[in-house]
Amino acid sequence: MKRFLLIAFAAAALVSCGGAKEEAAPASAAQAAPGQVNVYIWTSYLPPEVIAGFEKKTGIKVNVDTYDSNEAVLEKLQSGVADYDIVVPSDYMMKVLIPEGLVQPLDHARLPHFKNLDPRFLDQQYDPKNGHSFPYLWGTTGIGYDKGKVKEPVDSWRALFDERYAGRILMLDDPREAFGAALKIMGRSLNEKDPAVLRQAAEMLKKQKRLVRTYNSSDFANLLAAGDVDVAQGWNGEMAEAVSNAPGRLAYVVPKEGGTLWIDNVAIPKGARNLDAAYAFLDYILEPEVAAKIVNGVHYAGANRAALPLVDEKIRQNPSIYPPKEVLDRCELIEDLGETTKLIDDLWTEVKAQ
Amino acid sequence: MTGGGWHRRLLAAHTALVYLFLYAPIAILVVFSFNSARQTAFWEGFTLDWYRRLLDNALLFRSVRNSLIVAGITTAVAVLLGTPAALALARLQFRGKRSTQALLYLPVIIPEVVLGAALVTFFGAVEMRLSLWTVVIAHVVFSVSYVAIVVRARLAGLDPALAEAARDLGAGPFETFRRVTLPLAAPGIAASALLVFTLSIDDYVVTSFVAGVGATTLPLHIYSMLKVGVTPEVNAVSTLLLAGTVVLIVLAHRLLSAETGDSK
Repeated sequence: MKRFLLIAFAAAALVSCGGAKEEAAPASAAQAAPGQVNVYIWTSYLPPEVIAGFEKKTGIKVNVDTYDSNEAVLEKLQSGVADYDIVVPSDYMMKVLIPEGLVQPLDHARLPHFKNLDPRFLDQQYDPKNGHSFPYLWGTTGIGYDKGKVKEPVDSWRALFDERYAGRILMLDDPREAFGAALKIMGRSLNEKDPAVLRQAAEMLKKQKRLVRTYNSSDFANLLAAGDVDVAQGWNGEMAEAVSNAPGRLAYVVPKEGGTLWIDNVAIPKGARNLDAAYAFLDYILEPEVAAKIVNGVHYAGANRAALPLVDEKIRQNPSIYPPKEVLDRCELIEDLGETTKLIDDLWTEVKAQ
Repeated sequence: MTGGGWHRRLLAAHTALVYLFLYAPIAILVVFSFNSARQTAFWEGFTLDWYRRLLDNALLFRSVRNSLIVAGITTAVAVLLGTPAALALARLQFRGKRSTQALLYLPVIIPEVVLGAALVTFFGAVEMRLSLWTVVIAHVVFSVSYVAIVVRARLAGLDPALAEAARDLGAGPFETFRRVTLPLAAPGIAASALLVFTLSIDDYVVTSFVAGVGATTLPLHIYSMLKVGVTPEVNAVSTLLLAGTVVLIVLAHRLLSAETGDSK
């Protein structure tokens, strides 16, 4: 019986390995042909018609898998056995992936449509000269509010610290965003490193805590839509969605002091097996018509300047998606603060624990 | 007598509350799959749109298919591996039995994050590319233990004299197994299969570590929708899965009570 068990286990192990190999074989055989490209991307970031258009034009099959966090990309690339050819990490994650050698240098010569990108979003500190990536979609952090319950139009981060809205305020449960709001009111940078200034910001947040109904980063737009809170800090994607469902009642604004800017970028992992197909796909999504189709389909702002005239009027004119230039100029990327990160985490813990 | 009635009413109310607690969220999920509002905060009106849109949502559809494939294969393999293990542990005395048993409990006890991280490191070390098959292998790893534990519990409750009697009456070891032990263990095996199928179909943590190209399962897909907001399409697909599961369980229950002859 003991022997039988051993054999059974061994046989099963063999069967499952065999299965895996069988599955892998056709995939590698297909690589010689135009074959396929494996894309690992945020959900709803690639409209089906863009995929269909590329497949029709090139004969290359696009496999799409979706993820819910930048950390998922890091984990997959670190495993060394994930077969993705294209990933779409956010700004701060690029700063982790590049030094670790998990993404490969980008060959600009193979991307003739690179010139269509808006210089505003190029050559950022997380990827100088776009050596490893190019910007895909971007957005902001701002304030969503209920126009019926908040009497005057909101235009400043001060609304989140306003006594009149006590118990009806929502803050993102995210130290950098919370400190960002306080620092911006103080006229400082989001990436302030001076401990004295950060302590002052923490004092502001401690005083504010009494007014805050909840700290929440996952469900803020729903809570605002449901009327649980009236003034909410939040990312523009979900906010724009909530506003478009209740246009008369809700509004989203990037405060005049400036908010957080985030940029999601396209990059090729080290060791990508379908390199030709990956470059073909990347250049395809840089074409103005295609880039416009992406923005129209996903309702996020795109980084492609040549595509802008082709974007639906309604999206282009929507300030929750494309904020006015002077507001955007005051927005900042969240940068890695090195040692200071620990201080902010500690101060944030103090605020939350109070 | 009147005191008894009072007690009974209290007990009934208590039971009703427990059931409400268990099923209210599911009822809301089902109800909101017919809600015409895109966000889940309000009831706006009745619609079948989300079910219609499911048919067009190729990614969501594929993720359901992936989940069913993984859960189906995992259940079959885990039952085939776990049942003999349970038999051996319940019936045989052998050296290293205690440590074998302890090892069997390990995948159930260790945190899923640790299991996921360990598996992905293992796949990296043996250069096995991540795919749907690595998900199946990972699920089998924790499922075998559940099958072995559940089936073993069933076998422990059985009288070993039954198998001995079959032998005395001239049945060979294989026939004893087929006609006595297996039918007696069947309810345990069926229960473990249902348990493992459920665990596999909604596993997120381990799967998120080991899923490769084309292997997005339903839980991975739903989580990945969080960035843009979960739509009632998810409610619709969950309702369909729920309906499917209920049918399966009713069928399994019918089958079992028909076989063992107890009518409930």
